[in-house]
Amino acid sequence: MNKLLYFISIISLSAVSCSKLDNYPMPNAALSGRVIDAGTKNTVQTEIGSGTRVKLEEISWSDNPTPFYFYSMQDGTFNNTKLFVSTNKISVEGAFVPLVQYDNSGNITVDQRQTVDLHKGAQDIVFEVEPLLRVEWVGDPVTNADSTITVKAKVTRGTSNPNFQNDVSDIYLFLNTVPYVGSSTGNNDYFDPRYSYTMSFSGSDGNAQLGQTITLTTEGKLPPKRSYWLRVGARTTYGLKQCNYTDIKKVTLP
Amino acid sequence: MSIFKYLTVIFFACALNACTKLDQPPMNIIQDNDVFSSSGGIQIYFSRMYSELPIEDFRYSPARGLNMFWIISPFSAITGEALSRDQRNAMTESVLYWGNAYGLIREVNYFLQTLPKYKANFDAGDVDSWIGEAHFIRAFTYFALAKRYGGVPIVTSVLEYPTKELSSLDVPRASEEKTYDFISADLDTAIAKLSGSNQQGRANKYTAAAFKSRAMLHAGSIAKYNQVSFFDDNHNRLCGIPADKAVTYFKAAYDAAVTVEGHYSLYKKSWAAGDKAAQYQNYVKMFFDNESPENIFVKQYLYPQSVHGYDAYNVPRQCMGPNGYSAEVSPTLNFVEMFDGLPKNPDGTIKNLDGSGKYLLFDNTMDIFSNAEPRLRATVILPGDIFKGQSIEIRRGIYTGSAAGGINPVIPAGSTIPYPNTNIVQSANGSQDAYTLPDGTKMNPAGLSGAFFADETCSMTGFSIRKYLDESLPQSQVKENNEAQTWIEIRYAEVLLNRAEAAYELYSAGQTGANYLTDAYNDINQVRERAGADMLTAPTDLNDIKIIQKERRKELGFENKIWWDLKRWRILDKEQNNVIYRVMMPFYVAENKKYFFDVRKDEKNRSYSFDPKWYYEQIPDDEINKSHSLKQNPGY
Repeated sequence: MNKLLYFISIISLSAVSCSKLDNYPMPNAALSGRVIDAGTKNTVQTEIGSGTRVKLEEISWSDNPTPFYFYSMQDGTFNNTKLFVSTNKISVEGAFVPLVQYDNSGNITVDQRQTVDLHKGAQDIVFEVEPLLRVEWVGDPVTNADSTITVKAKVTRGTSNPNFQNDVSDIYLFLNTVPYVGSSTGNNDYFDPRYSYTMSFSGSDGNAQLGQTITLTTEGKLPPKRSYWLRVGARTTYGLKQCNYTDIKKVTLP
Repeated sequence: MSIFKYLTVIFFACALNACTKLDQPPMNIIQDNDVFSSSGGIQIYFSRMYSELPIEDFRYSPARGLNMFWIISPFSAITGEALSRDQRNAMTESVLYWGNAYGLIREVNYFLQTLPKYKANFDAGDVDSWIGEAHFIRAFTYFALAKRYGGVPIVTSVLEYPTKELSSLDVPRASEEKTYDFISADLDTAIAKLSGSNQQGRANKYTAAAFKSRAMLHAGSIAKYNQVSFFDDNHNRLCGIPADKAVTYFKAAYDAAVTVEGHYSLYKKSWAAGDKAAQYQNYVKMFFDNESPENIFVKQYLYPQSVHGYDAYNVPRQCMGPNGYSAEVSPTLNFVEMFDGLPKNPDGTIKNLDGSGKYLLFDNTMDIFSNAEPRLRATVILPGDIFKGQSIEIRRGIYTGSAAGGINPVIPAGSTIPYPNTNIVQSANGSQDAYTLPDGTKMNPAGLSGAFFADETCSMTGFSIRKYLDESLPQSQVKENNEAQTWIEIRYAEVLLNRAEAAYELYSAGQTGANYLTDAYNDINQVRERAGADMLTAPTDLNDIKIIQKERRKELGFENKIWWDLKRWRILDKEQNNVIYRVMMPFYVAENKKYFFDVRKDEKNRSYSFDPKWYYEQIPDDEINKSHSLKQNPGY
């Protein structure tokens, strides 16, 4: 009998302890969008993991919020389906004229952040930006007899604002064996350093390349009968020196 | 009755004892007046602070941070000085120095607040000197923060919690300029108050001045070369210093360096003019002479209480100790080529081919280095040089093809492919199958210290590190946590280089306070003379900051300083722009018993790309999350 009483009391205690549930709604807002070139209306190409990123400042939480970031995909589109319902100032950061600009004493002179009410369900926003450089293909990649690939490209300024027309410092031909290609620091996961090609310039020497058709050829000998993904990138000395890119082309070696 | 008796006894028992004072300081915790009542107590307090000082020494690596015994991703392997089998790419620090810095700053602030209460116990001069010393420690710690993060929160008193409101303790970051000005002010206090001499391992007046030349030169370089600008909401520039401040900082660096002159000097105890062997020996001994007049600030080790494993990790493969490890640091050809006295092509690269593009042949691997600058031999073990009484044998393989009419390069110039097996025998690792030479003798394809094509516990570049290796340490003692040589954090050569650089920057900015160009010229030539390098012939030879930068990279190579220099000059992203560093592999020619050197890109194609956002490091995320006012650096 005593045993049964103990048993019942333990059961009832454990039943009580479960009564309160977590009463916060799950993150059920979603945000997707694109970063497009104000001039051409194409998306601004970028790289994985260290290129364009979306910055959310949740002003419904605090006047001085710690920003939340997520990265864009390499084609310049972004998508995040696990955000909380909130009001945010949203901006993007990358290889383009910044949406928030400061003068020399730290006053904000330009502020193109968008204030967005993230409500339940999906939303789409578009940022029109001026890329630092526009990098375009000229014709198609050509496979050479010595197991290399030659491409042609053109680099032009993407902005007429002289504050962001820094010297062109590098033009790259990136090559990878998977469809994810671009500059990457540290572990070099997104290009193969053996075959990729770098044109590096000092001072203002690189500016002579602007508007020219530039011919770039991969280094070394590529193993045959495989597919490669290529893109041309270019950067200036502005800020964090991020690259602008062409889109990605696939080449299969015979 | 008996109850009354008991009650009386209890009453008296309680009443008589109740007057004992209960509010006693705990006997098992050391109190302020235990520490601050004797100079021994003060020494212990300083001892703790010095042990926490952020010195990037034998126990530091960017991958594992400070005071870590296991140094297998050495600092020199992210600067281009060397390759290491455990470092495959460019990186920034992955252990971020922040919390420990503020712990140490709190200890300094506590000391500065508490010592005046006990000053009656001491001689007034001692108290003054200790206050100066504490300011030096605080400045040293703030500089460690500033060179990583730019502007940081400046805390000058002990923050009390929970007696104070939490929000008042949430100190925002100061501007980068204010942070360096604070460091400068702390060092001025230290210079003014510190006595002219102190125990070894502790700072004196001239240590503070020498350190000030380092910190102010850094600040001046940021003002001049940095391109990043980052403001908080209150208009504080957290990253970047206005360019017009550069001259102020360079002037401060120059003046501080001049203060040190006459109190320290270059180590030349066994140096002799024109004698390369003596100059080489002198340079080697410099790092082991505890009475060296060059040592301005050192960190000492003592077996078994405080030890490191520098030799165990870095000896050439054939000197490997009983517990394994060796050759973590393989200097690159890019580093070696900076030195004088090597046969060179017009573009500055080493000359290993003759005019018709065939390999130059040598009787010994050391022949190509016969005229090398003594400082190079003291910094790097060259293939075939003598270390610990034995010839350090570095050979990549044996060339078995015909040598008639000269040998063409075994791989095309600039190639990233592996060495072919035609005409070459090579070894995968240390257990080798000897090759029978045409005269019937046997020879291992690779040398005792490498290079092996699979196992990388060997020289991977044709060179091995020499600087700081203890030649007197028996092989049986080459073990981790068994070495105790002294780390020299600041030596006079650095002060001369700081002075030369600051003077040259002032000269190029059109400043005329002193004869800056001649001063820089004299400083560089002092360093070069001791090193046995080629001298500048006139001040006008000094026409490019790159000359001073290169001298610094040679003199201070492998002393954990170069990464910060490459960063403050803002040239590291340009240098490490998908770069594969170069190596120089000796081969033995079976047919004619000669050697040739093949110059190539690193066989493992380790490609280095420095991300420009790393000029300002990431503040630890948990610190950002803890604070309402701490702003993260751009890009993180």
